[in-house]
Amino acid sequence: MRSITFLCLLFLFSCSDSELVDLKNISHGAELYKNYCSNCHQMDGSGLAQLIPPLYQSDYLTENAGALPCIIKNGLKGKIRVGSNSYTLAMPAVRNLSREDVKDICVYVLQKFPKTPIVIADSVLKNTHKNCP
Amino acid sequence: MKKVYVAMAMLLVLGACSEKKKLPILGNRAAVERLIDGKLQIDTLYATVADFSLTNQDGKTITQETVKGKIYIADFFFASCPTICPIMKKQMIRVFEKYKGDTGILFLSHTIDPEHDTIALLKDYATRLGSDGTQWMFLTGEREQIYELAEKGYYATALPDSLEPGGYVHSGGFILVDGQRRVRGIYNGTDEKEVDQLMLDMDLLKNEQ
Repeated sequence: MRSITFLCLLFLFSCSDSELVDLKNISHGAELYKNYCSNCHQMDGSGLAQLIPPLYQSDYLTENAGALPCIIKNGLKGKIRVGSNSYTLAMPAVRNLSREDVKDICVYVLQKFPKTPIVIADSVLKNTHKNCP
Repeated sequence: MKKVYVAMAMLLVLGACSEKKKLPILGNRAAVERLIDGKLQIDTLYATVADFSLTNQDGKTITQETVKGKIYIADFFFASCPTICPIMKKQMIRVFEKYKGDTGILFLSHTIDPEHDTIALLKDYATRLGSDGTQWMFLTGEREQIYELAEKGYYATALPDSLEPGGYVHSGGFILVDGQRRVRGIYNGTDEKEVDQLMLDMDLLKNEQ
């Protein structure tokens, strides 16, 4: 009985702890998004006309969620299709960001803009970043 | 006596009516002496944007003749700019949408990176922003001419800066110019409220002309 109570308590704490961490990371990600991404993609993720692609409800973002750390790290060149529009303007690499920073931006972007939030483990995001081409 | 009061009141009303709010004329001014009908008169000479010759996104030459008698907004940008340009362009689209089709109003966006922003690139850029290139034009030309025009004509800064993301530092101003090529206002093109003010001032200027 005692061990069950202990386990329950542990579970409770671990749960709230990780949620706290999550919230902290998301607000850190939001701050970074504002500084490094929102000039082009805008705070509401709407992009700019047919020049800069939107993130909000973007099918491209959903389909390429796993590659997001590398897109932020290396930038993106070449034509992409988002919804019924194509975009050609190159996205510059975002320099001066740590692996942790990029991970937090990804968490924020993937929570905020897709139709249904996408969850990718922190370790996976960081590992992707480490092994970008 | 009563009649005098009435007359005075009427004059007051008239005076109040005719005193419309006018936009200031920016820049240095000089006094010049002119002989008019054999009499020497002092006239004020206002600063104007100097003559220019640039090329638009369709390869057409654009000069001071193109903007003659028209109100226009000038701004400076470069296509690969990751900092303030997209914010400015988002705001410029708002102004453009409001005055779309108004033949008395033009928009001139000048690239400060003419080596990279070719005519073909500017054409694509214009189209993607929703401009057919007639009312809202994207201009390129000799680097020196653009930089001098920015600084001396429009009181805007534009400088290469290797420390700046994208490689240039430039002001985010929207410059409002009247039909006589006089600068009548400079607005922060990244600030929604200032851009709202710009549109109010454009209406004021339209009434003046």
